[in-house]
Amino acid sequence: MEEKLNTRRKVLIGMTAAVGAAGVPFAAVPFLSAWNPSAKAKAVGAPVKVDISKIQVGQKIQVAWRKQPVFVIRHSPEALENLSKIEEKLDDPRSINVDEPYRDINPTRSTSKEFTVIAGVCTHLGCSPKYYPEMEPQPWDEAWIGGFFCPCHGSMFDIVGRVFKAVPAPTNLKVPPHNFKGNILTIGEDQEII
Amino acid sequence: MSNQSSGIFNWVNDRLPIKNTYERHLSKHPVPKKVNFWYLFGALALVVLIIQIVSGIWLMFGYENTEEGAFASVEYIMRDVDYGWVVRYMHTTGASMFFAVVYLHMFRGLMYGSYHKPRELVWIFGMTIYLVMMAEGFLGYVLPYGQMSYWGAQVIISLFGAIPFIGESLELWVRGDYYISGATISRFFALHVVALPLILIALVFMHLVALHEVGAGNPEGVDIEKYVDEDGVPLDSVPFFPYKILNALVAIGIFGIVFSIIMFFFPEGGGYMLELANFEEANPLSTPDHIAPVWYYSPYYAMLRAIPDKLGGLIVMGAAIAILFVVPWLDRSKAASIRYKGNLSKIAMVIFVLSWLMLAWLGTMPVTALRTTLSQIGTVFYFLFFLLMPIYTSIEKSKPVPDRL
Amino acid sequence: MKKIVIISILLFSSYGALSAESAPCGDYGECEKFSPQLENLESLQLGAVTFLNNCYGCHSLQYSRWNRVAKDLEIPEEIFSSNLVYGQTVKLGNRMTGSMDKATAESWFGIAPPDLTLVTRLHGSDWVYTYLKTFYEDASKPYGVNNMVYPGAAMPNVLAFMQGQQILSCKDIPLLASNGGVKRDELGNDLTEEKCGYLKTISGSGSLTESEFDEVIYNLVNFMTYVGEPSRADRERIGWYVILFFIIFTSFSYLLFREYQKDYH
Repeated sequence: MEEKLNTRRKVLIGMTAAVGAAGVPFAAVPFLSAWNPSAKAKAVGAPVKVDISKIQVGQKIQVAWRKQPVFVIRHSPEALENLSKIEEKLDDPRSINVDEPYRDINPTRSTSKEFTVIAGVCTHLGCSPKYYPEMEPQPWDEAWIGGFFCPCHGSMFDIVGRVFKAVPAPTNLKVPPHNFKGNILTIGEDQEII
Repeated sequence: MSNQSSGIFNWVNDRLPIKNTYERHLSKHPVPKKVNFWYLFGALALVVLIIQIVSGIWLMFGYENTEEGAFASVEYIMRDVDYGWVVRYMHTTGASMFFAVVYLHMFRGLMYGSYHKPRELVWIFGMTIYLVMMAEGFLGYVLPYGQMSYWGAQVIISLFGAIPFIGESLELWVRGDYYISGATISRFFALHVVALPLILIALVFMHLVALHEVGAGNPEGVDIEKYVDEDGVPLDSVPFFPYKILNALVAIGIFGIVFSIIMFFFPEGGGYMLELANFEEANPLSTPDHIAPVWYYSPYYAMLRAIPDKLGGLIVMGAAIAILFVVPWLDRSKAASIRYKGNLSKIAMVIFVLSWLMLAWLGTMPVTALRTTLSQIGTVFYFLFFLLMPIYTSIEKSKPVPDRL
Repeated sequence: MKKIVIISILLFSSYGALSAESAPCGDYGECEKFSPQLENLESLQLGAVTFLNNCYGCHSLQYSRWNRVAKDLEIPEEIFSSNLVYGQTVKLGNRMTGSMDKATAESWFGIAPPDLTLVTRLHGSDWVYTYLKTFYEDASKPYGVNNMVYPGAAMPNVLAFMQGQQILSCKDIPLLASNGGVKRDELGNDLTEEKCGYLKTISGSGSLTESEFDEVIYNLVNFMTYVGEPSRADRERIGWYVILFFIIFTSFSYLLFREYQKDYH
């Protein structure tokens, strides 16, 4: 009798606790979701369009997408040819270790044969690397072959954002989703909406 | 492993009274074994307080305390923030439910004499909580900066103007501007989200500490401390854990049902919880046709309107709240509970409740001559209940209170 | 007890007095009832089309976003942006801030046309529904129309081409005797009197029949009710689950409470 009583209590405690515990994740959903980017943030972070016809060969421009710097660089054919020659300096020349949206399509890492589109955010701790395109000795590298140098912690990347060996940054600079339509580059989405 | 963790526990417990506090205030805390549902609203008030704090913090993530941004930011929370509407309706429903459970809790106190010796301080802390809540609710209602926020605040702040000599400059000082502007909202915001909640939490703490010192009452008004076992535990009590926590769980469950019905199906409460005029942004140049407070202030608002004098109205409204503080000294009855009080007390209680409800209804209605008269009658009965209490509780004959529960 | 009776009589009589003092729909009296169907996407879509074609020229929905409407109403974004969105510069994530400059609007209408995002919450859907149906011709007003719900409304009746001409007319209604029955003369004929202030549509003057027009207004107000609170359908759907949860929780905790109550009862 006593034992039966205790079993009933245990079962009821278990059921009540289980129902209560099952409610917790559901109750947490609205509070956790409320921290997601709001519709306003998403609207501000909508894809941006850039007219690329004015960019000179070798020039880098900076575009803000989601309030983050995105670099668009127009390369000369010579610069692109050099890319394959410097691979022994690089940690991950084929971008195996990153989520590369357009891997092995063009040496520029973009969907264009001429332009590179990369997020200007160092993969080490989030500073924005500076662009030093000329092949000339630099304080941080006697044999500088042109590329990006991060002033915060000294990470180095080549002109298409691939990371050098033995620098703090773990991976190549990210390539944001983008597409080219004539002279209009859209950053933030693959497919153009009509 | 268990040795190790109990080692850590002991180390902490030697330096922080965890075990003692837990046993004294929770696990072994003696609670009268026979109480009715009226004794559950205190626990529910604590639950709503937590709901309000959590949902309030989440609202602050999206709210903007500026004149230009306040109204739009509330719509931003309602539309653009994922599940922002859940958080907002939780807070608005919570505000009304907070007052609902506190009113029921206070009525329980009046009915069963919870303020009787030795619980006078518990009552006073409770009344102070109620006073702070009223201020908190008012400040919160101004924040969305809708038409009702604006004009409600205009009316209430104008009350300060009734104070002789300093009135007008006090009004200006409270607003910090010549109208209820961004300056007013940002100070109200700071008070609403930081200053008053801190005071509220401190008062709730004192309310509970004082309650646990003297022990909870019961509907019979029996002093259970008279008969104790050899450990000093009252014979007519059961420990809070596991017995009374289960009462609270059931109460929370039922309260959850009521709360979600309102929150998900009637968040506007028919215009009494979220007033429809507040869906229009504040316009200092145009008063809505009909200004009414939300339901929980309406009895006192009816009193304010019943008095044909600005200062007089303010004094009556203030006195209506102030008089509640001294109830422990107005009640001369030997019996705490209405069950053992005489007929006069019972009749007085019925008239008091009816006049309170009538005032509550009148406070939400537009003014007519008849309604003003009714408000005046209601106000008189409200005050008579308290002012005559020393007389009717001492002349009536109360029944003997039993010894045991 | 007597007092209670008197008080309740007084309360009751004052309630009667209230209904006389201000009718919710102005000269029209009681509003026509409107019950929204927020799950009826077709109605909402048609309402959105009516709103954007006829109302959005002057009235904004400034707290609502284009892509939220497209998503909730399940209108594909391409169709939505090419057919319904005003102006090619508008991004779908933007708020529907209207196509009219506030200052221009004020010089045209005397007052700027109000934003309508929350109008169904401010006045109620019943009110908006009745308002839109009760424009009538009144040559004394600047736009040649007046409104029964909101007399003196500074707004032209943009939907007149659908509804046709609506005028105030008079009709004979039966006289009621004090006992509630119809008064009759000696010959047994019903006595009538002429009463005025009834709305009458001149048939054939609009492009839609009366019931078609009612449906257009229904869909429009249904859409405006949605815009007033886009999460309402979600709210009511989720609400059932939450209530169900608390019912189950209460049942178990009640059984547990009863079980432990045996110890001290």
